[in-house]
Amino acid sequence: MRIRTLTRPERSPATPGRPDAPGERQSPTVPKRSPRRPQRSRSRDGLNRFAVFAAPGLLVYLALVLVPIGITIGYSFTNKNPFNPPTRWVGLDNLTSLASDDEFLTALGNTVLVTVIVTVVTNAGGLAIAMLLDRRGWLYNALRSVFFVPVVLSAVVVSVIWQAILVDDGLLNSMLGQLGMSDPPGWLSDPSLALYTVAWVIAWQGLGFCVVIYLAGLQGIPQELHEAAAIDGCGPMMRFRHVTWPMLAPAVTINTVMSLIGGFKAYDQVQVLTNGGPGPGTTSTLAFQVIQTAFNGNHVGYASAMAVAMLALVAAVSVIALGLLQKREVSS
Amino acid sequence: MTRNPTLLRGAALAGALILTGCTAGGAGGSASSGDKVTLTFLTFETPNLDAKYWDAAIARASAKVPGVTIKKLVSPSADRTGYAKQLDSTGQFPDVMIGLNPAGFAEAGKLAQWSDNELAKYVEPRANTYDGKVYQLPYAAQATFVYYNKSAFAKAGIDAPPRTYDELLDDSAKLKAKGISPFVVGGGGKDSWADMFPLICTVATDVYKKTPDWLSQRSAGKVKFTDQAFVAAAQKVADLADKGYMDRAGLSRSYADTEQAFRDGKGAMYPMGSWFSASADTKKPSFDTGVFAWPTDQGSSALPGVTGGGMTVSSKAPDVKLAKKWAKAFMEDEKNLNAAVKADGLIIDIKGYTPPDNMGPVYKEGLAAFRNAQKSDGVVNSFSQETGDGSLPPGLADKAAAGVQKLLSGGMTAAQFGAYMDSQWDKATR
Repeated sequence: MRIRTLTRPERSPATPGRPDAPGERQSPTVPKRSPRRPQRSRSRDGLNRFAVFAAPGLLVYLALVLVPIGITIGYSFTNKNPFNPPTRWVGLDNLTSLASDDEFLTALGNTVLVTVIVTVVTNAGGLAIAMLLDRRGWLYNALRSVFFVPVVLSAVVVSVIWQAILVDDGLLNSMLGQLGMSDPPGWLSDPSLALYTVAWVIAWQGLGFCVVIYLAGLQGIPQELHEAAAIDGCGPMMRFRHVTWPMLAPAVTINTVMSLIGGFKAYDQVQVLTNGGPGPGTTSTLAFQVIQTAFNGNHVGYASAMAVAMLALVAAVSVIALGLLQKREVSS
Repeated sequence: MTRNPTLLRGAALAGALILTGCTAGGAGGSASSGDKVTLTFLTFETPNLDAKYWDAAIARASAKVPGVTIKKLVSPSADRTGYAKQLDSTGQFPDVMIGLNPAGFAEAGKLAQWSDNELAKYVEPRANTYDGKVYQLPYAAQATFVYYNKSAFAKAGIDAPPRTYDELLDDSAKLKAKGISPFVVGGGGKDSWADMFPLICTVATDVYKKTPDWLSQRSAGKVKFTDQAFVAAAQKVADLADKGYMDRAGLSRSYADTEQAFRDGKGAMYPMGSWFSASADTKKPSFDTGVFAWPTDQGSSALPGVTGGGMTVSSKAPDVKLAKKWAKAFMEDEKNLNAAVKADGLIIDIKGYTPPDNMGPVYKEGLAAFRNAQKSDGVVNSFSQETGDGSLPPGLADKAAAGVQKLLSGGMTAAQFGAYMDSQWDKATR
């Protein structure tokens, strides 16, 4: 028997009990209220309620994010130096100087490298771990917590712990020494290695976030699709390629964009682990360079220009990545 | 006007949040009410100068200046000058600061000037002047020595510390031949300043000994870091590393770990500030520690030293007069000075002060070496640590420390280091 479902035209506008509904209870002499008035009233109420809840957050966001960004953009057109007043308008001089500033360009190169490493490691590692943990049982639940712990720790705390492990006579090299390695690597003191070490620490901390997102994605894939693919003769690799990977497209988008932003913002780990060294700018990132230029060199205007360039770069990369990845979501 | 009470309540809440946010970062916690004033005091903590040390010293000074309440601010790293800049940029510049490099702050009028009367008790009242004005109490001197492991020296057949640079090289070779690393160095992470000490010594012996006002001349454009004198000083450091006399493997160590490495016998010599003497006396290593000044080529005296390190007061403190009174009370209190000498090995430059009798042998040996150098006019500037007119521009000491890391690791030649310093100087002063 076909069950008839209620459709919008069949719902009586005079349903008893609705206080604002016109109907039998209303006097026939009273003119009917325009059907648009209550809707407008409801939408205004909704807007008011939204404003009440959103206003504090919006105001705080305005005061602590948007206004400082505006001030920074303003400073970027000046030669502001708190120890060398007066501040003068220099137009685009700061921004054009960046193009030939070796320190800035080195920091930019380091940042791009760190971002690529972080994005690849967190996504590949996160997906692999998520697939291993996509099972039921207390052990897997416990392991999920273990992998997520670094995400909730402060980056400074994580860096201090890794510093104790990675210094030349630290835990890792002591272990390598006991295994017979006579000249273990200078993870933080070798200029050719330090940037990769810093990138590894950043990636390690971000891994747990990717694991959680990929796990959520994996658990959202209907089991029937795997079963159907298996019936069609697909092995594990084929199932991953044709079922799992396309269905994880939204998770890939989130993780990739978040990793890209995280990589570009890298600061704390650099400050604690290497202070930009060993050697001039070896591990300096854009965020680190901005802080150094502003607070060590006192060139607040120039540092602001760096920050504006960084903001534009992060925004451009995020928008491009988001566009490409969302297109992939649709096509898959 | 809206009659919606929910909206009004929301707006009020938002307004309160904004106001809370605004006032939280406003005055930096300083306040004045009647004859009571709260002052912020920026300090720093190290293994030698821990929280207990500062709290006790603050309490003693406050007891002498009624009406003052101190709110202690601790710099997140030993770089309190950098932290003071951050606080200044957010309108929270502290009222009283210790060990701040006044460069930049002084010229910008952010610091209160000390008068001749207020400096009457100080042995070298004009040790750090900015355009003839004093902004920091010059209460103590610090020097850079080479601390050495007497047992390691004996094991290598060395019976006395080196008196010339050639002897230093010979001794290093003997130590290395015995499987002992000649020098302990460090300076990883935020403590990159700790790698500067070998260069501080070679610049003192090879540059400042002959040209005491070298940095003033650099400022005037008369000399450059690429000149032979400075490059030769940097070359000595690079050579020591190339020969394997400097423990490159220690470059990632923090300051505390570097100190511990020497204590653990991981190297025979440790070029470090005179504050290490206090540590060597209180946490005595398993060997006897000796002290000598980094030798010049000919054996004359050229000991890098700096006098200053005391209190500075913000010109915008809620009560500058009272803040100065508290700062002087802190600096001149005998118990505080004794505690500073014991904890940090300071050489106090206040008239009439004598260090406690029970100071350890390393401190006494260092003090005697410093006084001898003073008598022979052998105390010279301490590169990257000097303050006052003729000091490095703000931020350049950190750049130099980063360069030294590369010099020690072989990634930069002495000539490249000189060129790097010149380019950084130009950037810092543009």
